[in-house]
Amino acid sequence: MLKKIANKCIRAFMADRQLRIGVIGIVCLLLIIIFAPTIATHDPYSFDFKRLLAPGVGGHILGTNHLGQDVFSMLVYGVGTSLKVAVISAFISGALGVIIGGVSGYIGGVTDTIISEIINIFLMIPTFFLILLIISLFGNSIVNVMIVIGVTTWPGNAKLMRAQALSLRERTFVQSAVALGETKPQILFKYILPNGIFPVVANTTRGMAGAILTEAALSFLGLGDPNIISWGQMIYQGKQYTTSAWWISAFSGIAVIITVIFFYMLGDGLNHVFNPKYNYGRSK
Amino acid sequence: MRNVLSVENLNVTYVNKSKRVMAVRNASFSINRGDSLGIVGESGSGKSTLAMAILGLLPAQTTQITGKALFLEDKDLFSISEKEMNEIRWKKLAVVFQKAMNSLSPVHRISEMIEDIYCVHEPRATKDEIRQVTFRLLKLVNLPERVYNLYPHEMSGGMLQRVAIAISLLHQPQLLIFDEATTALDVVTQGQILNEIVQMEKELETTRIMITHDMSVVATSCTKIAVMYAGEIVETGFVKDVMVNPSHPYTKALLKSFPSLKGENAKMESIPGFLPDLTKDYPYCIFAPRCSEAGKRCFREKPTLKPDSIGGASACFIQQGGVE
Amino acid sequence: MARFILRRFLSGVLTVLMVFVINFIIIKAAPGDPIRTIMGKETDDPVLREALMEKWGLNKSIPEQFWSQFSNALKGDLGTSIIYNRSVNDMINERLAATVLLGIVSSLLALVTGTALGIFCARHEGSFIDGLLSTISYALDAMPSFWLGLMLIILLSSKLGLLPTQGMVDARADYQGIKHVLDVALHLVLPTLTLVLITMPGYFRIAKSSIQQVTSEDFITTLRATGMSRKKIFDKYIFKNAILPTVTMFGITLAFLVTGVTLIEIVFSWPGTGRLTMTAINQRDYPVLMGIYLVMSVSVAVVMVLVDIAYAFLDPRIRYDK
Repeated sequence: MLKKIANKCIRAFMADRQLRIGVIGIVCLLLIIIFAPTIATHDPYSFDFKRLLAPGVGGHILGTNHLGQDVFSMLVYGVGTSLKVAVISAFISGALGVIIGGVSGYIGGVTDTIISEIINIFLMIPTFFLILLIISLFGNSIVNVMIVIGVTTWPGNAKLMRAQALSLRERTFVQSAVALGETKPQILFKYILPNGIFPVVANTTRGMAGAILTEAALSFLGLGDPNIISWGQMIYQGKQYTTSAWWISAFSGIAVIITVIFFYMLGDGLNHVFNPKYNYGRSK
Repeated sequence: MRNVLSVENLNVTYVNKSKRVMAVRNASFSINRGDSLGIVGESGSGKSTLAMAILGLLPAQTTQITGKALFLEDKDLFSISEKEMNEIRWKKLAVVFQKAMNSLSPVHRISEMIEDIYCVHEPRATKDEIRQVTFRLLKLVNLPERVYNLYPHEMSGGMLQRVAIAISLLHQPQLLIFDEATTALDVVTQGQILNEIVQMEKELETTRIMITHDMSVVATSCTKIAVMYAGEIVETGFVKDVMVNPSHPYTKALLKSFPSLKGENAKMESIPGFLPDLTKDYPYCIFAPRCSEAGKRCFREKPTLKPDSIGGASACFIQQGGVE
Repeated sequence: MARFILRRFLSGVLTVLMVFVINFIIIKAAPGDPIRTIMGKETDDPVLREALMEKWGLNKSIPEQFWSQFSNALKGDLGTSIIYNRSVNDMINERLAATVLLGIVSSLLALVTGTALGIFCARHEGSFIDGLLSTISYALDAMPSFWLGLMLIILLSSKLGLLPTQGMVDARADYQGIKHVLDVALHLVLPTLTLVLITMPGYFRIAKSSIQQVTSEDFITTLRATGMSRKKIFDKYIFKNAILPTVTMFGITLAFLVTGVTLIEIVFSWPGTGRLTMTAINQRDYPVLMGIYLVMSVSVAVVMVLVDIAYAFLDPRIRYDK
């Protein structure tokens, strides 16, 4: 099973352009995190009297901000923040979604009705305001931001997982496990979750992109963690200087867009891999 | 006897960036008024492509068509203009497609669709007139008049297929093509509809091409048969002859792979090997690699369709002077 | 049909109830002492504390507090701002019109342009414009709305001096009548453009893919085989079938739009609820924040129920289900 998936992944990697761009892009971002001190031209935490320097002036590739920090070096260090937010919050969201959706779909009955109604309601309300409310009440540390994004975005994953569980429940191998007397939790963890998780994984990469955008939006509202470097906060800081120092907001925004696109591509590529109906280079 | 459709040397090739798939190769057949011709073959044999080519429904950018299809001894369907084709469509040449469930728009009432289709050729027809015509046709396919005002999702698959057949008869076309039209139905409904079609033809005098992978459909509803393999027509003839005494080894194999109609307990056999790669040219018999009776000659030369004494034809060296 | 509407209505009510419960739980679970916030850091007078507890109803039991807040909300009373000591209703009311104006104008424009471009690209699949628009829409999808707004300000106003970027009217001019309308319209251009660009990709994608999907359906092939003109097939049969997912999309996009409007209002100093949100966050004015959250959720729920009912009218398959 695993070997088959690995083979398919390699084949898809060669055939699917989006998957290739996504994977390579994210690997590059990881490399930037590891080699950040080497890549960065300045110490992003060092303040300087050379404020609001334009790109290229005084050895600052992308200029400096209102505190004299080097914008390029801040961008390099910001990769870590964005990816951390993306991975941790998407993991929380995915885990919650898989368990809640899996239980709901597998158990069925009244439990399922209630849970799926809750899922639908959550999908309907503007989640961002909820996040806003919680962050402004519970404090705006980066840990809080990650947890809150994870805890508020699980319904989408749960919905996917529930649909998977509903169909897997009827499959022969699950039925035979029931006949062999395996307990419900055993079946859930041994058969339902591992076999139904793939669409959720693909969706989770979209969730990562969403988390990066949400963190940026929170920072833009002044709810970012002031103790770290984040692209959203750079856009926020640059807002006051749109006329005099456009580069602060502009470049940090571009960094967000590129990263988000990599995650989108990865997600779309994974969807192609996990979708049995999608074939590469259709002949007819 | 008037000829309805005469196809000569039809080749259909799907072209995309990287390859060319020759889906129909040098196919020739003809059909006369009152005939019912069954075109049989496995999936991928090119039989649906053949139908779509005749109907002029293949996308022009990705397909190349060569050959002739003389319709009603008058016009070549492959060389007439779109305008001329549209005049022929449905008025003289109609089609019923495979999945009845999808052959009607799900958000329009049956009546609305029928009115629009009818008005393509009779723009001045009144709603009342169309209703009368349709009611008569619905009766012919054993449906109550009330279905006229229903939506597709309110009907069963069998009912939808009957509606699709009724719609195809709106203008009493000279030629009717059924593209796997009964495949999606259960066996009982399929049987009923096939019987109705045969009954109906006695009244309407239509000519029909039945495209199917199911030998039994041909056996119950057609007078003539053409067997297709990998884009080529390998055998033609009257159903009563071919079913009893097939000459091409592929036809024989195909007949063996279906349960007998008479309920004999003969062994069912599948054909060894796979369909050949349709992107390649085959200067020898295309069936030879899978043929149990093939000889050296079969891998050297290409057999052509040669008529026999009883109105059939087959493309096999066994009937044409031996395989060695 | 009646049952369908009733069902959707009930789930709308349920949504509002749920939003309220979540709101209440969050406030109760939040760290810190709300009275301290109101009193300020310096004073700590037990008598004052008692009076404030009484005033805000904090000396009652949790269920009692829930019930009194809930019944007030049902009556349409969203409480009092702890910073301005004003009714939250009034504060939101005087700002809601500006937000609704921006929201409606931009969502309708995005719906129309996105769908139109999607249809165009579906009909010209593989053309240069199709490739270009698809790429742009992919990039727009990845763009933070507020960043796009800032960039438009830099490009169109700071550099070219074309359009007003701040507020809803020119404060210095004090226009009246038709001039006032034109002034508002001019101020509306940039925020609307930003929102349209941000929400358009969704409509673009859904319109394009559903047109392509419907076009490949058997019933379209059948209609082509009848000799019906391409125009008629498209206008009547493809369009009506392909537009259904767009209607659903409109409902789904609402929550996203509300978020977008809030952020865009802040970028362009649009005098709506988004600005109010920002100030409420900065001053930690929780009753106002909760009020906005409640109003937004209720509006989204109401519009979504309406969209679902509209969908049921368009799609005969829904009318008889369940």
